[in-house]
Amino acid sequence: MTAIEVPEVDYTEYSNRQLVLVPLAVLALAVLVIGGWYVATGAPATLGLEFTGGVELRIADDESGDVEERIETAFDREPDSVRSIPADDVYVVTFRAADDDPGELASDLETQADAAGLSVEAIDQVSPSFASDTARTTIFGLALAFLGMSVLVFALFRTFVPSVAIVASAFSDLVIPVAAMNLLGIEMTLGIVAALLMIIGYSVDSDILLNNSVLRRTGEFYESVSRAMRTGVTMTVTSIAAMLVMAIVATIFGVGLLRDIGIILAIGLCADLMNTYLLNVALLRWYKFEGVKR
Amino acid sequence: MFEPIKENWRVLLLVVVVLGATVALFAPQFAPETAPGGSAEDATQGVTNLQYGLDLAGGTRIRAPLVGYTATGVDFAGETPTQVASDVAAELEGVSTREVDAALDDEGTGTDGTGAVEVTDTSVSEEEFREAMDASGYEYEGIRSGVTQETREAAVEVIQGKINEAGLSGGSVQQVQSITGEYFILVEVPGQGRQDVIDLLEERGTVEIAIAYPDSNATNDTARSDGILVQGDFENIGTASRRESGSGAYVPVSVVNEASEGERSPAVRFQDAAVEYGVASASGGARCDYDMETNSLGESSDSCLLLVVDGEVVNAFGMDDGLARSMASGSWADSGNFRLTTTSFADAQTISINLRAGALPAELDISGQGTSSTISATQGENFRLYSAFAGVFAVFAVAGVVFLRYREPKVALPMIVTALAEVYALLGFAALVGYPLELAVIAGFIAVVGTGVDDLVIIADEVMSEGEVNSRTVFDSRFRRAFWVIGAAAATTIVAMSPLMVLSLGDLSGFAIFTILGVLIGVLITRPAYGDILRRLLTVR
Repeated sequence: MTAIEVPEVDYTEYSNRQLVLVPLAVLALAVLVIGGWYVATGAPATLGLEFTGGVELRIADDESGDVEERIETAFDREPDSVRSIPADDVYVVTFRAADDDPGELASDLETQADAAGLSVEAIDQVSPSFASDTARTTIFGLALAFLGMSVLVFALFRTFVPSVAIVASAFSDLVIPVAAMNLLGIEMTLGIVAALLMIIGYSVDSDILLNNSVLRRTGEFYESVSRAMRTGVTMTVTSIAAMLVMAIVATIFGVGLLRDIGIILAIGLCADLMNTYLLNVALLRWYKFEGVKR
Repeated sequence: MFEPIKENWRVLLLVVVVLGATVALFAPQFAPETAPGGSAEDATQGVTNLQYGLDLAGGTRIRAPLVGYTATGVDFAGETPTQVASDVAAELEGVSTREVDAALDDEGTGTDGTGAVEVTDTSVSEEEFREAMDASGYEYEGIRSGVTQETREAAVEVIQGKINEAGLSGGSVQQVQSITGEYFILVEVPGQGRQDVIDLLEERGTVEIAIAYPDSNATNDTARSDGILVQGDFENIGTASRRESGSGAYVPVSVVNEASEGERSPAVRFQDAAVEYGVASASGGARCDYDMETNSLGESSDSCLLLVVDGEVVNAFGMDDGLARSMASGSWADSGNFRLTTTSFADAQTISINLRAGALPAELDISGQGTSSTISATQGENFRLYSAFAGVFAVFAVAGVVFLRYREPKVALPMIVTALAEVYALLGFAALVGYPLELAVIAGFIAVVGTGVDDLVIIADEVMSEGEVNSRTVFDSRFRRAFWVIGAAAATTIVAMSPLMVLSLGDLSGFAIFTILGVLIGVLITRPAYGDILRRLLTVR
């Protein structure tokens, strides 16, 4: 029985320019999507309840068959979205906060749901001022984590180009999932923020492995790369598998937080495969063969 | 005989950690403490000692700021805090001195120091407060929204008291600070619906006794004297009881009958006021006829005692003849026993809770700037099951990929076992410190399995590269090389996650704490142990 091997790539066939082209094009596209989103909606991503404020109700499906219609007519305001989660027999009804008082709104909606005979399983209420505070905290946290990671990487390798290569690919690993979220219609929630922070931690693992193998170990460049790649691809693929399975199971059962973390990490890790073994390898090769001489 | 122990200490350490986790998870000694009024079954929630947070057990979480404005750096100009507070209150129309509080920044520096003045009446705007501060003539540095540290601490204590008095077991209250420096009070009550908790918190729970008396010059011929008795004047508060005859209920209390030299005790004050306003006389007690809608006395009514909760009259009552005579003769104040009567039993319960826990020093703004979330108990239990499913399947996925990649049980099996041991150790830790499991923490566990296996892959590949491992030295040097990468990767994960630990971003701090903890356990305990296991299995003797 033979083990599944990570395929070897012959990097000598491609120039650095060619290698860098694909990840940079994808990054540019992602930045374009996010930029476009910002211009069109005023935010870099579709913001979830935690960032906009509002009220979210989880209403149990009592098997009567007309819950959806009852939800439509029960409330005196139009719900912004009604999502069905069949595995959990639950409907998630979201009301965006307007200028008015969301606390009152939550109480009113609860009363209206009761009056319509709907059984409310959970209520989340976030005030707009709190939501904007959360958004600021989030951006600060992400920036801090990214900065901390960058400083650490520079401290570990103490050389400019290889460190920049890691930081650049980590940046791209963050931007691509956000753009993908916009295209897939996934809302930015706190779970996603956690996932993005994890990408910062996770995705640099394979980059560090690669840089370590090339810079700190003896051996020829291509040999070092393929050695790091064998380990790194296994690692990343294992993680992608775990995250995808978690996302699928969580989607079936309607556990939103786990689904979001799963999807975003899977996308981020796929982006990382591309960035590490195209962008990072190309930068390292340039550094090793041309950069060092200067 | 110590040789084998020395050889395999890393593996032994892992075994010890796993055993320790087992003890923490299952031994009854480590079972969570039973909340007052709760049963032991309530506290343990299942066969293990694990506790579940709101996500997984159901309950309500509310986060809201305390409403008020604080003037900082106020120069008290030698006045006492009480004087300063009443001077400022005098400049604010319709605000009682109890809604204004002044405190020196550092007690003990004497009266010439600076301090803070806060107003907790919700009707006062920042502008009005600023004008009042200017008019009062005290110099101050600035005005910010929010209340002082002392008030927040007092509020946390009061809320905790309210939750305990209401018999809601397992509730927790804490202060959290947002990135903008604003403080929020975070209240979590397992197993309770949203409205119940809000009802408990939203009213400040000030209880006082006022007297309404006939006065032909006043509106509706009714005048009112407020603050005859206030919250602090009551002691020995009993539980709400139903009246023996007729409808209604009461809370037995006694009125404080001790005072410092030269001052009247609250009981004596109350007694004097009752006689002065004609509630009590030697011939007997007042017959009360009070209309709570219009706040007026009936035509032939005597004076009435009013029970005022949060500024609203909840009941008006007269006095029975026996009690009135003892008041008129001046002997009542010796005992000070009294009954606060209410029209309904529920009112009596609320008053009892409010009196025992005290009044909130400021109002919680739940509807304006707060957030709340409620999860029903069934939903919570479902989430518990589903997240366990998600976790187990994720582990299977990892196992599948690892087996496909190595096709070598000697390498793959220990890998999966060590990764699981890591999660098990984390669960044990959670049980030991009583950290409630939440969805976010489960996500952290899954993240730990992910990073854990990643590192084990690095170790396995590194050790097995470059041919056979034929000596211990070769193994050790390769293992050490692998460890540099693992250490660097662990450091980046910790750095990336640490902001989440301290920033107040919902339940994500649990996620960060357990991811970081998992990484640490991994680097310090499980990964070295895996190295030892692998060495035994691979070293060609």
